[in-house]
Amino acid sequence: MRNLPLFGARSQTLILWLIPGLRRFSSAASGGGGAGVAVKKVTRSKFEPALEDLRALVRDADFVAIDLEMTGVTSAPWRDSFEFDRSDVRYLKLKDSAEKFAVVQFGVCPFRWEPSRGSFVAHPHNFYVFPRKELPVHGPSYEFLCQTTSIDFLAKYQFDFNACIREGISYLSRAQEAEALKYLSSKYLDGLANSFCNLEEHVDIPLVRTADLFFSERMKTKFQEWRDAILKGSDKGCADKENADSNEMQFQTVFFKMRPAVFLNGFSTHQLNLIQLVVRKYFKDLVYICVVDEDNSWQRRLVYVETEEDKASFMKEVQQDLIRVEKRVESAVGFRQVVDLLASDGKLIVGHNCLLDLAHIYSKFFGPLPSSMMEFILAVHEKFPYIIDTKHLLNSSQVIQFLMKRSSKSLSSAFSLLCPKVSSVYQNSTSSTYVRFEIQADETGSSCFNSGAKHEAGYDAFMTGCVFAQACSHLGIKFEVHTPLCDLARNGKIKNYINVLYPSWNSGTVLHLNTGTESLESGYKRKYPAVIFANIVLIWGFPSKFKPKDLKDCICRVFGPDSITSIFFIDTTAALIQFSKEEFVNEILVLKDTLERVNDPISMLHPLSKLLEGGNTRAANYDTYRDICAASASKVLFADQADSLGIRWKTKLGTGSQETKEASCNETTTDITSLVEHSSEVRADSIRQFKHQISYGDILDSLNVSKSLLGKGMTST
Amino acid sequence: MAASSGKQRWAGAVKQVTKSNFAAALQQLRTDVDSADFVAISCRKTGDSVASSRRHPWHRVLPIDTPEVAYLKARLSAESYEILQFAVCPFRLRGYKVLAYPYNFHLFPRDEINLVVPSYSFSCQTSFLTSMAQEGFDFNACIYDGISYLSRVQESMVKERNLIPQIQPVSSCSSLSVADSIFMSRIRSRVVHWWNVCKESSNTIDGWFSRDLIKSLQKLISGTELYGSRPSMSISVCSDRQVQLALQTVSHIHDDIVPLVVPDKSGGPKAVRIVLTNSEADKNLLMTEIQNIENEQNLRVRGFREVIDVISSSNKPVIGYNCLHDFTFIHSKFIAPLPPTLFEFMCSLRLVFTNILDINHLSKEIGPLRKAKNLPAALSFLKGQFFVPIDIELPPKAEENSNKAIHGNNVLQITYLFAALSALLKRNPDGQLPQGQNIMPIEDYSNIFYPLCTSLQEPDDELNYLVEHAKKSSTDNLVFLWGFSHLISSKELKRELQQIHEVFTEDFELQLMDKTCAAVVFSRSGLAEALLKEMESAKFCSDALSMKTSGLRAAGYDAYRKVCMSGLWEADLADSLENIMSGSTNSLSASSEKDSSEVYRRSESTIDLSDL
Repeated sequence: MRNLPLFGARSQTLILWLIPGLRRFSSAASGGGGAGVAVKKVTRSKFEPALEDLRALVRDADFVAIDLEMTGVTSAPWRDSFEFDRSDVRYLKLKDSAEKFAVVQFGVCPFRWEPSRGSFVAHPHNFYVFPRKELPVHGPSYEFLCQTTSIDFLAKYQFDFNACIREGISYLSRAQEAEALKYLSSKYLDGLANSFCNLEEHVDIPLVRTADLFFSERMKTKFQEWRDAILKGSDKGCADKENADSNEMQFQTVFFKMRPAVFLNGFSTHQLNLIQLVVRKYFKDLVYICVVDEDNSWQRRLVYVETEEDKASFMKEVQQDLIRVEKRVESAVGFRQVVDLLASDGKLIVGHNCLLDLAHIYSKFFGPLPSSMMEFILAVHEKFPYIIDTKHLLNSSQVIQFLMKRSSKSLSSAFSLLCPKVSSVYQNSTSSTYVRFEIQADETGSSCFNSGAKHEAGYDAFMTGCVFAQACSHLGIKFEVHTPLCDLARNGKIKNYINVLYPSWNSGTVLHLNTGTESLESGYKRKYPAVIFANIVLIWGFPSKFKPKDLKDCICRVFGPDSITSIFFIDTTAALIQFSKEEFVNEILVLKDTLERVNDPISMLHPLSKLLEGGNTRAANYDTYRDICAASASKVLFADQADSLGIRWKTKLGTGSQETKEASCNETTTDITSLVEHSSEVRADSIRQFKHQISYGDILDSLNVSKSLLGKGMTST
Repeated sequence: MAASSGKQRWAGAVKQVTKSNFAAALQQLRTDVDSADFVAISCRKTGDSVASSRRHPWHRVLPIDTPEVAYLKARLSAESYEILQFAVCPFRLRGYKVLAYPYNFHLFPRDEINLVVPSYSFSCQTSFLTSMAQEGFDFNACIYDGISYLSRVQESMVKERNLIPQIQPVSSCSSLSVADSIFMSRIRSRVVHWWNVCKESSNTIDGWFSRDLIKSLQKLISGTELYGSRPSMSISVCSDRQVQLALQTVSHIHDDIVPLVVPDKSGGPKAVRIVLTNSEADKNLLMTEIQNIENEQNLRVRGFREVIDVISSSNKPVIGYNCLHDFTFIHSKFIAPLPPTLFEFMCSLRLVFTNILDINHLSKEIGPLRKAKNLPAALSFLKGQFFVPIDIELPPKAEENSNKAIHGNNVLQITYLFAALSALLKRNPDGQLPQGQNIMPIEDYSNIFYPLCTSLQEPDDELNYLVEHAKKSSTDNLVFLWGFSHLISSKELKRELQQIHEVFTEDFELQLMDKTCAAVVFSRSGLAEALLKEMESAKFCSDALSMKTSGLRAAGYDAYRKVCMSGLWEADLADSLENIMSGSTNSLSASSEKDSSEVYRRSESTIDLSDL
């Protein structure tokens, strides 16, 4: 039996079945693909009413599932998460990702248990978000990074970029809102104060340069002419005269708040300052103001006021504008209101593998990310007291592990395994093991509802919520019995899973939000022995033909065959080497340094010198790796990244292995200059120059090659 | 206004090109470029260094930047941002008449061949995307169906990993070792045997063996495979030298054998595959087949870069507006990574485009025009001041009314501006165009870029004109100051400085580069040097007044130049300057040595201080 979704005139509940005709993404949707789920698409124009509806839905909800789509995940290949990442490095990578990329879609899906129907009612919302500049203030969020493969991935799932860029809802974080308010009001009040007060006071124009003098005089005459023209009521003649006089300073009389005014366009700040002084000194009936106009840019105007009273009332009117500006800031807060809503009454928030999502939410809607993981998770916990990560839930519950038969933990496969009734058409039995879900579409429906699809934030949030509810039922929560479900977050059966996050696929640890600590995950099987960070040396900038095997050979010939525990290539330009003993770390650094200082034939024959070929090989301990990850640049190659930090030394000698041991997991200093302090006095600038020339010569060679190839192509066509 | 009416007139005139109609448009463009006098270009990016973000305001190209520094900043933005639209307009100029054939290509750096991503990631400035959206730009079409590309350097990297068998020229090996001769003789005997078997089997009539069985036996015994419909065999090789030896051997055996080199995944040679042809005609057929496959592959690999190659190989003068920016983008996306200096960049660019005309530079000839900060401003100024009856003739629109897109109209504006300027510049005093002369002496103007810059102050200001009172100042008169309170305004800082030291009692200008660092320009020369000298000596620090601004630091222009050269972009300017200073004090001699070796033109240190 197949029901087509009906969008009735009145609020109507739909029962989900897969609609074959809507399976646009059949190729991509292996398993639980896009079913005919009505997901509410919310853009700028429909935001206000949607927000009002959502308020009520969230208030009544038992839990709210969320999911985000971003413009990318890693800003450089080496920023991927590796087994060799200490937890502070992992946080730095997370932080980098959340700070650089933009959120383009935000899925919110409140779930409410409806006892009368014996099912959950879900309201999936899909918000299009875009950091559009709505206010005349600048901020780093108005620039974001796109990872080409992620954009391509979104495109593969038919992401609507036009809706996002043209119609996306913009936002301000709490920090940005406060800053914008402060900036705008100070700017407004500045302009006002300048023309308001000190009228009697004698104003001196500090004219240092003759050019300033000429300019002030010319402006004085111009303003006089303009004012006289207005008083005479023949503004036309004046405008023509100005036109003939100079081109870039056409005074066209406009009206501002029912008073004649001129725009002051095309002046530099210095000139504007002079103009302000001229006005204050000579013209009691002219007012200089600076206001925000409709298209969010600053407009400077000179306004004519008839009397002192008129001036006062004009000032009042301008001040009223300030309130209007504050309103605009309020409306520019935009999508953050949804996040505020989620954070407001301590709802249970459900996400799938949601640490990155939370980092995005924090940096976009609350404020800059703190410098350590500990601070970050405690801050998140303060905003969202109850969070469930379904990824962790699926991983750590034995019951569910058994049900999932150890298959992939991706959201869609979990969804199709755990909720087959929702995700596919043929599971038609009324067996009670499956939780029932219904989706509610309201009357304004049809136009703004899309059928959900995998990797669309709204639908993914819906899937996450379904997986969670189903998992709860497997864990023994009887929704029928526990009505009302008001306290799902404090239910003993899921107590162990609340506020525990899954930091990344290969860390083997879990994060506890309430304590801010990280602990080993039970039952995690390591592929490799645990990494000892103090035994690690970072090497980069070695000859590009060097393969892992070469590197191993080279080092084993010096330190013996058992000296190396493991080698990990970050990319083709950098590697982390884990030694079996900690003292090797210092030994290799010292050895390298000595080899580079003495340039005699004996050191040339040293086995290690093969590694140093090219003269750009750098080495340091693990903390340097962390510092390089902490830097905000993101070059594609690790060696270039290190270069862009201005690292001039070649070998960073450790100040004793003690320090490395002490380096605690949570400590992250992002002090780049400290890298430079330990300079081993080797001026690498000239060498770097040399390296550039070499590589540049190579480039020219390849150009010539392709040019000849091109010529070949031309003749043959 | 005239400009807006022009926009209306030109609506839908520009041919919009995406992946689906790229191959056809490329053919058309080839012929259009061939018959054109000039090619105008213009691109729309996801951001640029003229309007960089507030995060690091000093990244914008500023009036205090020398051409070298302006290049480094343009390089930074070319490496960060992406081109989404690339408009090309080949045109013919006949006096006041212009015949233009405009195209607008939509680009997206997709990984088409699963080998190299043209760019791993790119930045977007929301204001750029928003303004494109306001023009009705279709981002979905661009991302789903945009043309991808690879730069020449990327292509040569891919070539190495190209898995398509290719013909390679035979070059004789000079000295043969014993191993070489053994290798060659073994190959020789194998190939000859194979050749004989092939020839025999084609001659023998089907006996009591079925044909299939023979074939499979052949395959087992002699390693015969099929290349298309022709018999072929693979010879395993493990080095480039062996490839040469194999090719050499095969070429001596028989004319009807065509050897192809099969590369392995890492780019090295894996095997030489020899294909047997029936006749001379069949051989030629095979060669064209292989060539076609290669061409197809090339188009797939190069993508949009074919357009750049067409323009480049035509040797037609290329017209652009704000060329430094556009060509740093073009160089980094379509040619090669950008070199570290302006000089090398210009050299490398000359190899690809022999003749580039920057309208910014051209319009310097007409005094006030250089104040125009953008294309529409320049156009409207020109129309207001001069009577230049330029008439642009466009190809008939293929589909009337269906397409009113205005994307890529910039290139028509550039074309128009160029036509008008060239008419103005070669106009005789009596106002007549010299007869029978199509090409003006543009050589005088070619390959000189005049970087557009924005003023440091008030990024809120949407000023359309740079301000008049331009004054020249040497970089020697510039000092960068940092270490003051972050919250200070430039006015307050100026006032405080005036109390600190006597040099500040003389006339100077001050601008905040970002919230951590200020640039000070003295009008009298020598003051800057005096200040720096005194800052270095301890005397200045003990000064009672400097307690107020404890930790005030200063550096000359050289430090700023070095910051830009070493690419310390990702920090506040104060931190980057500090970083450079701490490095150079360690080995002062080394740095001065380096300076003297640097090509340091006096003229380059003169900068245009139009609005500080």
